[in-house]
Amino acid sequence: MVLPSNVNSMKLETHKEKVKYVREAILCISIGTLAGLVVYQIFLYFKIAIFGWNLGLIFAPLVAGYLETILANKIIGEDIGAISAFILFAYTTFYSFILKNPTLGFNVITIGSIAVILQAAFPTLINYILFTVGLGIILYFLGIFKKITGFFYNKIKAFVYKFILKKPLEVPVEKDYEFNESWSNELINNQNFFFMTSTDTPDKRIINVGQFSSTIIIEKAIVQTPPDPIKFEKETLYNLKKGKDECLINIANDVKAAGGNGIIDLDIQYSLIGLGGDRYQVTSFGMGVYLT
Amino acid sequence: MILTSSNTLESKEIIEYKGLVTGESLIGANIYKDLFSGVRDVVGGRTSAYEEELQKARDIALESMIEKAESLGANAIIGLKLSYDNLGGTMGNTILVTAYGTAVKCE
Repeated sequence: MVLPSNVNSMKLETHKEKVKYVREAILCISIGTLAGLVVYQIFLYFKIAIFGWNLGLIFAPLVAGYLETILANKIIGEDIGAISAFILFAYTTFYSFILKNPTLGFNVITIGSIAVILQAAFPTLINYILFTVGLGIILYFLGIFKKITGFFYNKIKAFVYKFILKKPLEVPVEKDYEFNESWSNELINNQNFFFMTSTDTPDKRIINVGQFSSTIIIEKAIVQTPPDPIKFEKETLYNLKKGKDECLINIANDVKAAGGNGIIDLDIQYSLIGLGGDRYQVTSFGMGVYLT
Repeated sequence: MILTSSNTLESKEIIEYKGLVTGESLIGANIYKDLFSGVRDVVGGRTSAYEEELQKARDIALESMIEKAESLGANAIIGLKLSYDNLGGTMGNTILVTAYGTAVKCE
């Protein structure tokens, strides 16, 4: 016999007390189940239904669970979890949906019915899923949750700055994503280093140092709510350009450390990586050389 | 400005290597344009909206690269490389166009 989960929370001092508890629990569950079955039969007999859907499917588990809980509180002194409601749920579902309705189809009515039955059998769990998890997800994606919390956050922040900290509210400065191209150009070409995309230098003697590569991983820009594509593109491009400069400086330092002063056949590659494409990879590679 | 993907310039001598020059541009995230491109794909014909955007992006990347070469005192770019990278994942609506090469001064 499987004991209800909350049995463990009770202080059962002796084996006798344990057996007594189980017996009483079974009695409460049985009475609750019986009452539920009677209610279900009454609903079936009088055909109390809406659009062909018998209301006993809701009321039978409700009556079973309610009666069981009242009895358990009186006899045992605590709630044992409305197990009869679950039994009624299983029975009514089997009887009405499988035994009596073999042509049951997968449609909106069926899904709705299942939801209502589940709600009757497991009210707390289903209400939590519907009103906390479900509604939370919808509100999050609609941005309403963010707007509400944002509103209260700003109000509280303004209050704290005005009355507690007694200083003017800090206005967040929008980060400037304008990339300084000329500064970047000078930075790359003032390294005392030859970056060459070509493979041949007619006026210089080439001594090979080795193959070199450098990789930089960049976090993808955060998509704003509501989305701002222009800002997203600007930030992405800024990060990629900055990553490229960093990558080139790194490879130049590596070649210099190996005794070279240039790189030929230089290639720069960009790709999307990470789980769900949440990062960018910038790789530069080429042949490290000493040019004389 | 002379642009070539080869290592040398035909009938011109390279006097000086000026350095690496790059240009980048990003296109995409324009859902409306993407939608119309999809319609074009379904009914047939060329997705001109995308082609125009790609061409525009390539021009921006090349112009940026040329500007940098000019600022270094170069009059040609050799070893020119041009690439198109999809950075939008499965949605495919972010394309990075990069152009880079070696800025040189030739006769």
